[in-house]
Order: sequence, then structure tokens, then C-alpha cells
Amino acid sequence: MAELGHGGKKIVERIMSASEAKKKAKGLTQIPVRGQIAKEIINIAYGFFTPLQGFMGKKDLDAVVKRMKLADGKTIWSIPILFDMSEAEIEKYGVKAGQTVLLTFEGNPMATFKVDEIYAYDKAKICKSVYGTDEDKHPGCARTYQYKDKFVGGKIMLVNKPKINPPYEPYFIPPLEMRKKFKQKGWQRVVAHQTRNVPHTGHEWLMKGAWLQAYGELPIEKPIVGVLVNAIIGDKRKGDYIDEAIILTQDELRKSGYFGDHNHLTSLTFWDMRYAGPKEAIFHAMLRTNLGLSHHMYGRDHAGVGTYYDAYDAHHLFLKVQKDLKIKPTFSMNWLYCPHCGEVTNEGLCSHKPEWQKFSGTLIRSIVQDGVKPPRLIFRPEVFDLVMESAEKYGFGSPFVTDEYLEKRTPVFSIPPMKV
Amino acid sequence: MSEGKYPINLWVNDDRYDKLKNAGLADMCKEMLAGLKVIQVYANDAEKDQILKLYPMAKFDSATTKSIELLPREVKDKIFDKVIVQKSIDTAVGAFLADH
Repeated sequence: MAELGHGGKKIVERIMSASEAKKKAKGLTQIPVRGQIAKEIINIAYGFFTPLQGFMGKKDLDAVVKRMKLADGKTIWSIPILFDMSEAEIEKYGVKAGQTVLLTFEGNPMATFKVDEIYAYDKAKICKSVYGTDEDKHPGCARTYQYKDKFVGGKIMLVNKPKINPPYEPYFIPPLEMRKKFKQKGWQRVVAHQTRNVPHTGHEWLMKGAWLQAYGELPIEKPIVGVLVNAIIGDKRKGDYIDEAIILTQDELRKSGYFGDHNHLTSLTFWDMRYAGPKEAIFHAMLRTNLGLSHHMYGRDHAGVGTYYDAYDAHHLFLKVQKDLKIKPTFSMNWLYCPHCGEVTNEGLCSHKPEWQKFSGTLIRSIVQDGVKPPRLIFRPEVFDLVMESAEKYGFGSPFVTDEYLEKRTPVFSIPPMKV
Repeated sequence: MSEGKYPINLWVNDDRYDKLKNAGLADMCKEMLAGLKVIQVYANDAEKDQILKLYPMAKFDSATTKSIELLPREVKDKIFDKVIVQKSIDTAVGAFLADH
């Protein structure tokens, strides 16, 4: 039976067999791509971006900008997926509509790209629609303004599968494989936890709360609801936790028994965050629909940055378009520590407001940075120990991204050599 | 408009606690987050702006804790040393910035 993804479209992997790939790639003009585009090629090829089959043409981009939909007028889509080139590059590689080229990453063949059209588009218009601002200090706008002046639309086919490097390999689970895993586990509902963080107990309770919400009216004799941690792995900024610490500590919550195999799974998606707030929340819903999830958890200021969005803008936009999305939201209030209760509790439950001790990922990072081990009610000791172990093993002594890490880290994935 | 008062959390590890005890300042510690010891020093508006400019990796957590976080450890060590010398949580940030 076909697996249906976002927009009710069949999930199809756009990956050639090795023998076909060699034939099809032979003699094609080779065009190198940067990391962002390589990640997006992977997402298109494995179906994370279903129903997209390639990079957007002008009609799709225009529909996304004007109506948050694809050109079919029906399928919700909130963030443009674009392949940019300069005039000089187009001329250098002789790129024309109707031609197929070979995209390479770090010198190795990655995907064929059948060019349908080359076009220009007003970048400020994209920014205003997607980010609600055209200020270049918004990181999503900055990324948009950095696009070169022309966009190229067309379908891609992967000719060479990425090698996912340790310790990330077990966590790269594409949509079709993920859906098989859910069936094996017997999960009837799965709720997504979006993260780019090492988990503190506030995050842990966000997951536990969302699990309880998703369980709803289902029978409880055996576990049939799961939490999928889907870590976004992409561009890093100095001071962020290193990726290895993020993915390993998320899984440690299961390994150390705060969750279990019966209700928790950790995975990753390659994506450079746009910090589009509400529009990124919708994008995450589409992505996780394709992964086979039934529910998506949203806390405050989902995928936001600075003061561009109100805390619950993402919730409001989701509710507006919910009828066109397959996934259901679970909205969550803040979790905090109450010394009176002696536990982590929810602001919607506890009435000892004057005594509340709120904490955030930033605050916990600050504590760790000071060389202090937080109490286990706030940060699990197994998680703290693994953060420190990751610092030594992967972070050149630091659990946070440094210049040295950016320069010397092992890439999350690489494209193996391939003769064409 | 009244002057802002922005806390910087100096989390107290064993080393810092020993220094506070030796200086007779251990009672300056508050308990936060399930018993974790902290000394909160305060920056005013101008000091907050200056410190965020000097250390761009730091940030003011306006959403949750309303405090200045993610200052490098060596910076916090120096501010902590000023607390010990000045025996004050109100003037330590100013004294630290005066050295820059």
C-alpha cells in the first residue's frame, strides 16, 4: 500500500540504482553545491519534502509567497525551497531550460538536476511573506538576501547516497523507513518533539505532556503512542551545543529510562533553520507528516528569533490552516520548577506563582558553562555526563561550538566518491 | 523612567563556594533551581548594553529569566573576583567594566 505524505501525495524516493546512476550521470556538466543545497537535495530525494520533486519553479514560489500554498492551489507550503545561481555561473556552466546537469558536493557526484526554468524573483517580497519582515538582521532574511540573483527550478534524482558519519548513523531515518519503524513498534499515534537542544527536564516534560495529550482516548492496556524526537541538524553558530551532544543526549533520555523503547525514538533531519517562527512551525508540520507522525508538539515561540514573533503566533497560524494539514497539534504551556511542590510542574497547573523558578535552555547552558552540575530535577545527571563526554570526544574540550569545532569537526554526512 | 536592574547569575561551584566562605561572604548565595547556589550581581541599563557589546556571544534572556546569560566563564570568574574584593553584588559589574 502506498505511503501518503503531506498534501495526500504518495511518498516516493527519488534515488537511482547504482548502475542506472552511472549511465545517467555520465558526461553531464558538473555543478558544485554548498551544504544548504546538499541537505535539501537529501530531503527531496528521500521524501522529507513530499510532494516536492525538486527545487521550486516560479509558479510554486509565487504561490508560496502569496498564499502559503504550492501552485496546485491546494497543498500548503510555507518556506520556499530554492536553487540559486549567479548570471556568471549560469553562463559558465551553460545552464539552459531542458538540460540535465550533475550536482556535486565536495567534489563528488550527488544528484541529477533537470532544469525546467531559470527565473528572477523579488527577495524582499519573499522575506516579507515568509518572515514577516524584510530586515536583513533577521537570520532568515539574511539567508534570502545571500541567494544569488537567479533561481533554477527543476526535478532532482539522487545518484549517490550520502554516508551518514558516526555518531549520527542510527538517527537518519527517512520517511519510508520511519513509517516501518512505527508499525514495528505498534504505535498508533506519534507526537513530534522539535529540538536543537540538549534536553533539560523542561524539555523532558514537554515531551511527556505531549505524549499524554496525544494518548487521548486510546486504550492503555499496552503502549501504542510514541514520542519522536526529531533534531534539526544544520548550520551551527558559535555558542550552540555541538550536534553530537544534542543527538546523543536526546537518545540518552530513553537509554537511562526516563522514557523507553516502547514510547521514545530519536531521529534527525538535515535543515538549516530559517527562524521563520509561525511559517517554520507549519513547515515542521509538513516535514513530520511525511515522517508519518500524527501529532506535533508546539511550545512558546516555536522556531522564533529575537522579538519578531509573539509567543503563540505559531499556534494561531496552525489553527488557521489546520483543515489542510493531516497532523494534529498539541500545544504546551511552560514547564518550570516550583520549590513549594518540590517538582517540575506546569504553569497551567501550579498556583505557587510567586515561588516559581523558571528555567530555559539558555540558563542551563550558562550553568554548564560555569562548570556547575545542575540538580537532577533540572538536568538529568546522565545527560550532564554525556554532554561532558561529548565535549572531550567531539568538541575539542567544549560542549559548545567553537571556531576549532567549526573548522575540524567530522561532517554529519559526506558524499562518497563515484566514477562517472 | 526608572533605571533597569539586570541580573547576571554567577553559579557557585565548589571552588567559588570555598572563596566565598574564606571571605566570609557565603551568606551572599541564594538558592535557585532546586537548591543550586548562585550569586546574582546586577548591571544597570548602560552596563548591560556595554557588556553585551563587549561579549556578543552573551545574551539577555528576555523571555524566561530576564537575566544576562552565556558570558564566557573567564569573564564571570573576573566579576566573581570583584564581588570578593568589593564585598558587594551591586558594584561588581561596574568595577569589572572599569577595567576595560
